[in-house]
Amino acid sequence: MNVEMSVEVGGLRLRSPVLAASGTFGYGTEVPLLDRSRLGAVLSKGVTLRPRAGTAPPRIVETPSGMLNAIGLQNPGVEAVVAAYAPLWATWDHPVLVNVNGESVEDYVAVAAALDGVPGISGLELNISCPNVDAGGMWFGNDPRAAALVTGAVRRRTRLPLWVKLTPNVADIGVIARAVEDAGADAITAVNTFVGMSIDLRTLEPRLANWTGGLSGPAIRPAALHLAHQAARAVSIPVVGIGGIASAEDALEFLVAGCAAVQVGTATFVEPRTIANVYDGIAAFLTARGLAELSELPRCLPAAGSAAPAGSLSGSATR
Amino acid sequence: MTGRRSGGGGMTVLRLRAPAIAENVRAGQFVNLALRPGPFLRRPFSVYGAERAEIEILLKVVGAGTALLERLEPGARVGCLGPLGRPFDLDRGSGALVLASGGLGVAPMPLAARNAARAGREVIWVHGARTAGELCREWHGDRVIWATDDGSTGARGSAIHAIPDVEAQVLACGPNPMLSALSSLRPEAQVAIETYMACGTGVCLGCAVPLRRGGYDRACTEGPVYEASEIDWKLLPGHLHYAVGA
Repeated sequence: MNVEMSVEVGGLRLRSPVLAASGTFGYGTEVPLLDRSRLGAVLSKGVTLRPRAGTAPPRIVETPSGMLNAIGLQNPGVEAVVAAYAPLWATWDHPVLVNVNGESVEDYVAVAAALDGVPGISGLELNISCPNVDAGGMWFGNDPRAAALVTGAVRRRTRLPLWVKLTPNVADIGVIARAVEDAGADAITAVNTFVGMSIDLRTLEPRLANWTGGLSGPAIRPAALHLAHQAARAVSIPVVGIGGIASAEDALEFLVAGCAAVQVGTATFVEPRTIANVYDGIAAFLTARGLAELSELPRCLPAAGSAAPAGSLSGSATR
Repeated sequence: MTGRRSGGGGMTVLRLRAPAIAENVRAGQFVNLALRPGPFLRRPFSVYGAERAEIEILLKVVGAGTALLERLEPGARVGCLGPLGRPFDLDRGSGALVLASGGLGVAPMPLAARNAARAGREVIWVHGARTAGELCREWHGDRVIWATDDGSTGARGSAIHAIPDVEAQVLACGPNPMLSALSSLRPEAQVAIETYMACGTGVCLGCAVPLRRGGYDRACTEGPVYEASEIDWKLLPGHLHYAVGA
């Protein structure tokens, strides 16, 4: 099997289109057994300016084909993360992008500033889609002006590749995607978790201490696929697809839907080797189809200038 | 999966062939089991026994995942990730060892009993359940003290209150309220706690354990064994109700 699997995404050349999603791969050191030669990049656990303790337990609950989580961005703060991990990341043969969070535009900019120019940090993934914090997070991802404001402010402060992770909890993801593209994003990650809830009928209370959490896993895959596709047809920057990917077939659906790469998240909790398995399965699929490169895979996006097919929700196709 | 037997008290012992885990596992550590087809997430279990190339786990049916596990037949394949977590530290004590367990909390005790016996230490097993019919019937120690909530066998009350008033190192496992009660009587006791858990490898931060010094750490990595005084018991969920995954 000799297939060219490298991809160019948002200012980074990646040897694999299969990336480790933020919040499911720690700081890149924890997951056992995985053959890292199949890993395109790591998106770090979400980082904030100051340390955050996170939410009270229970923080997770299993749901049909998925799980809800409300971790609340537990992290030791950007300074501690840089000190503990950046020197190690600098020695790795794949990029690490830091997932950046804040409660205000100033917070996001300050975190970006602390990461700018640090060896070992290859890019930023701006998280404007965390559903589990009181301030910031998803608020920025819900409104095109707020999304553009925070993206633009970070763009002006750093030359690092800047990806923006969008929330699915919006009426029209295309509008948000175009807003962050216009504000200077190099790529879009679509999508974060769907807000959900589960109630324990023995106690008649929500199962999560936070009451609501983010739904992930195969349960969200078709909805996430649709949103990633909607984002991809709204912008000309690359879209990294994410949402319930557990197999090569799942990943291929996102790639064919117009994504440049994919992130594997919750599936890593279940099978630590998922990323490598997905990589191998994509390569085998391309080989079986007689394709020498991932870039030859047909994408179901309207051609530039053509009218969008019937059923399209968000208007103009740009390629 | 290589075999199954009743452990008494409605509990089932499953034997799994897992040579690398059997060789390396220490008392208090756990494995995270995946069943396909089965529920989406893995299910964590303390390692109950380890001999030659096999490990044992102890389970009781509480939901869809454990129901499937209990029905497995020899020859079935189970994804088994482990050994995970921080084990009991028997070297922090000497002399007699008290193993206090409530219900399924007996699971990590046989390996601890074996290690202590090899070191020539006396092992006192204090085991409790709600009622006589729910007591584990496998023997783990030089001496056993029974306790039941309803007094149907042994002392009335939890295993914690049946711990003899002797100079001894105490290890405990059972429902979190039982361990919380132990923390005021024996703050230095080592307890293996139960939390909801997803990855078992330290990345999801779902198994948060509230600490008295503030903040949270991970039952799967810094735990599941803690000194009882380290935990903020008021914030640790007392009774875990498992949601059913499909």
